[in-house]
Amino acid sequence: MGAWTQVSIDFETSHLYFPTLIGALLVVLGLAILLRDRARIAGAGRYWRDVFAAMDKLRFFGTIVLTVLYFILMVPIGRIWPNTGMGFLLCSGPYVLLTGLLFMHERPWRQVAALTAIAIAGPAFVWWLFTGPFFLTLP
Amino acid sequence: MLEIITPLFLMLIVAGTFIGIMFGAIPGMTATMAVAVSLPLTFPLGLENGLALLLGLYVGGIAGGLVPAVLLGIPGTPSSLTTTFDGYPMSKKGEGEKALRIGIVASLVGGLFSLAVLYFFAPPLAGFAIKFSYVEKFLIIFFALTVLAALSSDMLLGIFSGVLGVFISLVGTYDISDGGNGKLRLVPPGTEYWLDSGFSLLPVLIGIFGLTAILAQAELGMPKELDAKDIHVGRRSTFSFSIFGGQITNLLRSSSIGTFVGMLPGVGGSAASLLSYSYAKTFSKTPEKFGKGEPAGVVASESGNNGLTGGALVPLLSLGIPGDSTTAILIGAFTLQGIQVGPLFITNNPVTWDAMIFAMLIANIAMFAMMYFAIRYFALLVTVPKHILFPLILMMCVIGSYTINYGIMFDVWTLLIFGLFGWLAVKLRLELAPFIIGFILGPSAEVYFVKSLESFGDYTIFFTKSWIAAALWVLIIGSLAMSIVLAIRAGKNGTQDG
Repeated sequence: MGAWTQVSIDFETSHLYFPTLIGALLVVLGLAILLRDRARIAGAGRYWRDVFAAMDKLRFFGTIVLTVLYFILMVPIGRIWPNTGMGFLLCSGPYVLLTGLLFMHERPWRQVAALTAIAIAGPAFVWWLFTGPFFLTLP
Repeated sequence: MLEIITPLFLMLIVAGTFIGIMFGAIPGMTATMAVAVSLPLTFPLGLENGLALLLGLYVGGIAGGLVPAVLLGIPGTPSSLTTTFDGYPMSKKGEGEKALRIGIVASLVGGLFSLAVLYFFAPPLAGFAIKFSYVEKFLIIFFALTVLAALSSDMLLGIFSGVLGVFISLVGTYDISDGGNGKLRLVPPGTEYWLDSGFSLLPVLIGIFGLTAILAQAELGMPKELDAKDIHVGRRSTFSFSIFGGQITNLLRSSSIGTFVGMLPGVGGSAASLLSYSYAKTFSKTPEKFGKGEPAGVVASESGNNGLTGGALVPLLSLGIPGDSTTAILIGAFTLQGIQVGPLFITNNPVTWDAMIFAMLIANIAMFAMMYFAIRYFALLVTVPKHILFPLILMMCVIGSYTINYGIMFDVWTLLIFGLFGWLAVKLRLELAPFIIGFILGPSAEVYFVKSLESFGDYTIFFTKSWIAAALWVLIIGSLAMSIVLAIRAGKNGTQDG
């Protein structure tokens, strides 16, 4: 065709070649979306206000907070008894119980008792299955 | 072949199908979620046994979606959307059990039809694809991404989502084993330790298909489950196979559509069932009955969405390109066992290939047997409390992410990052299926593209390499033209509706 179609890729910088092309394509597509949907993007503030107004904030953010705490606590607790998966076992029970309580609408004692039993038995069974027969590492 | 058919293998198919039906039948849970959270279980099971479990989950999960679609008018999985159009009106007329059984038989026909297509079509396609060089392999991925864009609900956002997936997949080292120079890119300062190998595929998948779905339910305040006494299966009208007497054409057409749609990369079961349903309505002598409890509507929807199951495996096993989001997760099962799917997969792994076909066959039969004879009990699944299931699923997501790379805590954080990203992406109207397919295919696309240019030193090679490359460009241009026509039509319809 011509010199403009020819390309020489330097091996030392070859790791940047494709990401640069894809990044440029993303920017072009982003600009096209910005141009096409400018009215909708300008009204994004109202859209997000509506999203947050309709949201069950307690359950949504509660799930995120409990999950973050679960992840944060699992490793330091696991370090107290290394290579036993105890971090997973000791954190999963309270996590299943608290998340379950958060998701419940009413909390009659029978349902809470059933949830508590599952929060103890479920993680214990999974912990046994993975650290025992499956021989896999848990935190 | 016979050596793989062990009692454990059969038990895993049946158990997978049963659990899959449960996931499909509970609104808010999907076949994709079932496969994603069960992935870590496949690690110690080995490839064939692991696939037996996952394929059972896949077939059961797609079929199970019809239960709430008929009884509650809520699609258990996105692919059951059109089942609600006629299944729910039938249920309201006291014909719930009849509608469910029609759907189960249609699901079986769709599943077996697509399995036959998979069995006969994938090996020759793979045999042909072996001839592909890096140039054609790159063009195949490019074609897959253009098809994704063409069939997205919003073409521009669909392309953006796919390209974003490719971009994020490039984070980390340009792998030496792929011919790269081993240098880092797209890694923010201070995160080199964690992102050296980029984001692991499986935590990303588990986050997007597990955590995102649960966050979406939490956002809605965890909609309450129905009480068992509120479920009315109905006995007023009994089911008979004679209903299918005039439905053979509909069954075969819908199964074919589902299978074909399944072969298109990233296009989900909802497109398969919508297309099947609209064709059934168009060709019906009584289209006015559709939407008011017409059994032909349930037949079209269910045979269409189950036709997807085998169809989606065709591009995966012959080209290495997943047909839908669930088969994208199946790539994870192969990765866990160190096996690469692509044109050489069937030739190099005949036992695994036979195991997959056999597992799909048994899963379809098991799905039919379980659902047909115990549908009244499966109907009660829609009442299973989510406050118990979802915390356990979240816990399984953690195990899956942590064990995938033998105990890396960053993979667990990846699950959270991509779970939140998935929720945000849905709010921003980005499309998750193109994102995931882009994320999976991105690293291969880079290797094929860069190596082609390093070898030939000219961009024109992508047009002139072979007749296959030229034919692929015809397909690429065709899919782009189709996406533009569809976008213009959608714009016109929108204007008329507005």
